[in-house]
This record gives sequence, C-alpha cells and structure tokens, in this order.
Amino acid sequence: MMRRYKKPLVLAAEFVLLTAISLFFILPILWIVASALRPSGPLYTYANPLTLQTFFPTTVTFDNFVHIFKNLHFGRALLNSLLVAVATIAISVLICSMAGFGLAKFAFRGKNLFFFIVLITFMVPFESIVIPLFVLVKRLNIDNTYFALILPAAGNGLAIFLFRQFFSEVPTEILEAARIDGASWIRIFRKIILPLSIPAIVTVIVMVFMFQWNSLFWPLIATHSSRFEVVQVAITAHRSTEDTSWANLFSSAIAGSLPPVILFFFLQKYFVRGISGTGLKG
Amino acid sequence: MFRSNRAGWFFILPAFVFLGLFKIVPIGVSVLESLRQTTYTGRSYFVGFENYTYLFFEDPTFWNSFWITLIYSLVVNPLIILIALVMALLLNENRFFTKFFRTVFFLPTAISFAVVSVIWSVVLDPHYGLANGFLTLFGLPAQPFFASTAQALWCLVFLNVWRSAGYWMMYFLAGLQNIPESLYQAADIDGASAWTKTRKITLPLLSRTFAFVLVANTAFNFLTFAPVYIITKGGPRGSTNLLMYESYKSAFVNLDMGRASAITTILLGIILIFSLFEFKWTKAGFEY
Repeated sequence: MMRRYKKPLVLAAEFVLLTAISLFFILPILWIVASALRPSGPLYTYANPLTLQTFFPTTVTFDNFVHIFKNLHFGRALLNSLLVAVATIAISVLICSMAGFGLAKFAFRGKNLFFFIVLITFMVPFESIVIPLFVLVKRLNIDNTYFALILPAAGNGLAIFLFRQFFSEVPTEILEAARIDGASWIRIFRKIILPLSIPAIVTVIVMVFMFQWNSLFWPLIATHSSRFEVVQVAITAHRSTEDTSWANLFSSAIAGSLPPVILFFFLQKYFVRGISGTGLKG
Repeated sequence: MFRSNRAGWFFILPAFVFLGLFKIVPIGVSVLESLRQTTYTGRSYFVGFENYTYLFFEDPTFWNSFWITLIYSLVVNPLIILIALVMALLLNENRFFTKFFRTVFFLPTAISFAVVSVIWSVVLDPHYGLANGFLTLFGLPAQPFFASTAQALWCLVFLNVWRSAGYWMMYFLAGLQNIPESLYQAADIDGASAWTKTRKITLPLLSRTFAFVLVANTAFNFLTFAPVYIITKGGPRGSTNLLMYESYKSAFVNLDMGRASAITTILLGIILIFSLFEFKWTKAGFEY
C-alpha cells in the first residue's frame, strides 16, 4: 500500500484549488443559512452592498426553526419522507441489483429489449407520464397512500444501468469457477457479486434516497391528505406568488437538506481507495 | 457471459414487472396521446402524425425551443462532467481534508431543484441580489442576469453546474474504487508521474462509469424544467424556453395534450440519439 507522497507544494496547490471551488458552492448556502438565523425581516437587507453581516448575522436566533417544527409540523413531513425513502431503497436495491446482474452477465432472449426499456425509463420526462401514471395508481386503488409514493419509484432504470456497469467489471472467470464448484446463481449473486460492489450499492442508496427526498411533483398529485405530506411539498408551500415567507422557506429548506448531507457524509467512507476494491480485482 | 434464458429472466423479472407497470404503460399512453388531438369540448380523436408535421413545418416556437435546448445541452453537459471529474480525481485519496471538501461539494445536491431555483432567483436578483453585491465589491458593473436575453440561458447553465456537479462527482468517486490498487503500485515502481497515472490508468479504467454519467447526465439536462418554470417562465423573449417548458405550456396552459406529447416524444428521440453516440464514443455500452 505504499504510495509515493506528493510534494508539499503540489498538496498546497490542490488545497487552494479545492478551497476556491468550495467557495463557489458554499457562499450562496452560507447566505441562506445566515438569513434563516436572522430574526425574520426583509430578505435583501444584507445582500447588496456586501458586508460581513451578509454571511455572519449579528443577532442569531433559532426562532424560525422552532416555528416550523412546533407550529407547522415540519417533523411530520421529515418522517414521511424518511419512511418513503427507506422503503423505496429496500425494494429498489434488491430488484435493480438483480436486473443489473442479469444484464451484465447473462445472454438471454429479450435482453436487448429489456435494456432499451431500462434506458428509456430515465430518458422520458416525468411530467409527460404523470397523468397516465395517476390514472393507473387510481385504478390500482392506492392513490393517497404511502404505496402511491413508494411503488412507482421502486423500479429505477438509472439504478439498473449503474449496477450493470459495475457488475460488468467483475471478472467472469470467478463466476465460472464458482459454478464449477456447484454454487447456485442466487448464491453467486449474494456471496460474490454484491460484496464486490459495495461502492455501487452505496451509490444507488444515495441516488434513490435523493430521488425520493427531492420529489415534489408526484407527491403533490398522488396524495392530498396532510398525513402524507412530504418534505418538498412542505418546503415549497411557503412560496407563493402573493406572499413568500422567506424565513419559513429558508429554515425548512435547510432542515430538509440535512438528512441527505448526513447520509452522504457517513456513507462516503465507502468511496475511499483501499477499503473496497481489494482482493479479487487485482 | 452466460447463455441462459432461465437465469437471465429470473434476475430481471421483478424489475421488469415494476418498470413495465409504472413506467412503460404510462410512456406508451403518452406516446399514443401524441397521435391524437383534443378539441375544446374535451373530445379527442386520432390524427396520425399531424402533431409532428405541424411542429416540424409550421411551428417556429418549437424550432426556437429546439435550438435553445440543443445549445444549452452542448454547453452544460461537458461543463458539469469535466468539473465533476476533476473534483472526484482531486478527492479520491484519503487525506485530512478530503471528507470535508467532498461534503461541501455535495451540499447543493442535497437541496431540491425547486428550492435551488428559488435560491438562485434571489441570489441573481438584478437589484438586490448577492451576486451583484459581489460584483460591486470588486468594482465591476452590476449585471441583469435572468432579466437579459443575452445572459439568462447562461445563468441557467451556471445554476445547473452549481447544483449537479457534486452529484455526478459521487458516481465518479464510486467508479474510481473499482480500479485495482496494484496497477498504481506497479506504475509507482516504474516511476510514473501523477499525470501519467491519471491518463494511462485512471481515465481508461473509468470508461464504464464515464459512459454512465455521460448518458444519465445528458438525459437529465435535456429534461431541465424546474428552474425555467420557477425563475424565467421561458423568457425574456423566449431565450430560455427549453423544450420541456414548451411541452409543459402546451399541456397545462394551452390544454393541447397532443402537441405536448409530441414534443416530449421528440425529446425522447433526441436523447436516444445522443445516448447512442455517447455509447459508441465511450465504447462502453454494448460490449458483451
């Protein structure tokens, strides 16, 4: 595992470059956070001309956050989204990894058609299938339930495509050897393919989580009881053409963005060289 | 590759059922809708390819949107992929600052597109926005941003790069884990420079991930809708009227479902053609 160490100068240059890129990403967010932590007032007061106050409020208050959780039941929306996301991930990871394996390692009749289906499912705008999908969900009698939010998102073409790309990297010889030893396909899938593809599984978990967490249009259409209100519906409810409550909008947007960030923060340890990708692929 | 109808279908069947029911059926309905026209009384009848021939030969609004969508895609896709790739390469090794920067780059992705659009509409406000605050601080003239026909589309590009680069970085990071460490060790023994290792080992072995990101990102960006809907409404003077927004207007403002479905079907065709080229170019799509 010995690697040649980079020169300190190169390291410093990388650090400066990374800091510059992160300023681009973080400054607008800092401003939003500062605005949410200020006592509610006009939005633009500190944006232009620019002062230190723009990013670091002099009076800090958590009133806006307390308000959205205590009076506007934002916690309920968080829990709803969490439930929907976790259930979708459970189904999605299972069926999509199976399909990815089928596409990566088997030749079978109808394979090209299935791959074509997988591709077009993420190339078609959701907006254009939303009405037929709602008619279908109503006919299945699952409109205005959690099932309406979970089931249509469970089959994920993008996830299947990703799994296929990763499983193709696993050398076929290993699978052949396991077959000769008498292992069943299910066993090979569970004991060889999945353990070798932790980064892919982690990526799909984040992908499906983000997809469900950020979905707005479909929950608006598929459910109407406030019981099923999800995060994005709750956030965007604070914005309307007549009257936008910036304090509520920004504080709920920040609170609503924390779960994906926390998830990524903890799962990214699987994206580090040397932890996975050892052994068989050398 | 193993030749087996039974095993192959066993593994794809559950996904096939879900995709078939919740994706293919609605897509089929939408494509069929593009062959129909709805009257103002709400009755709909079959018209063949009339919606398409009208779009192609008599609809300058469609062609304006078509070209804008194409220009937008040709700029935004390479930009996002390049930045995402550079970020992933810089943050592939485990150093004391790696985790921090990765999380920072990922932050915008955690905010939904709708909220990101609201944020940038206020950041880029021509009078009071943060962006002009910065420009005046450095003595530069304030800019109109979304209020200008010359700048609005580039602001959309900017917004999308900000939101999406960290997302695709994640896929590159995952793909980088698949490259065997032993190759780098061998290269180290041969005294290869960091740049040589990147060019000769990392990039070639990243091609499957690269193909994935290229195809998926292209499809996503062709379907850009939320920022147009929330910030510009296609304006000023049609300069950001992307095809998805034009289709939305047809469906929900002008109640012309036939035209709306025809536009999205054409969009699907364009995305498929682009994907085909991208698969060919990366040579990673159909190798069996």
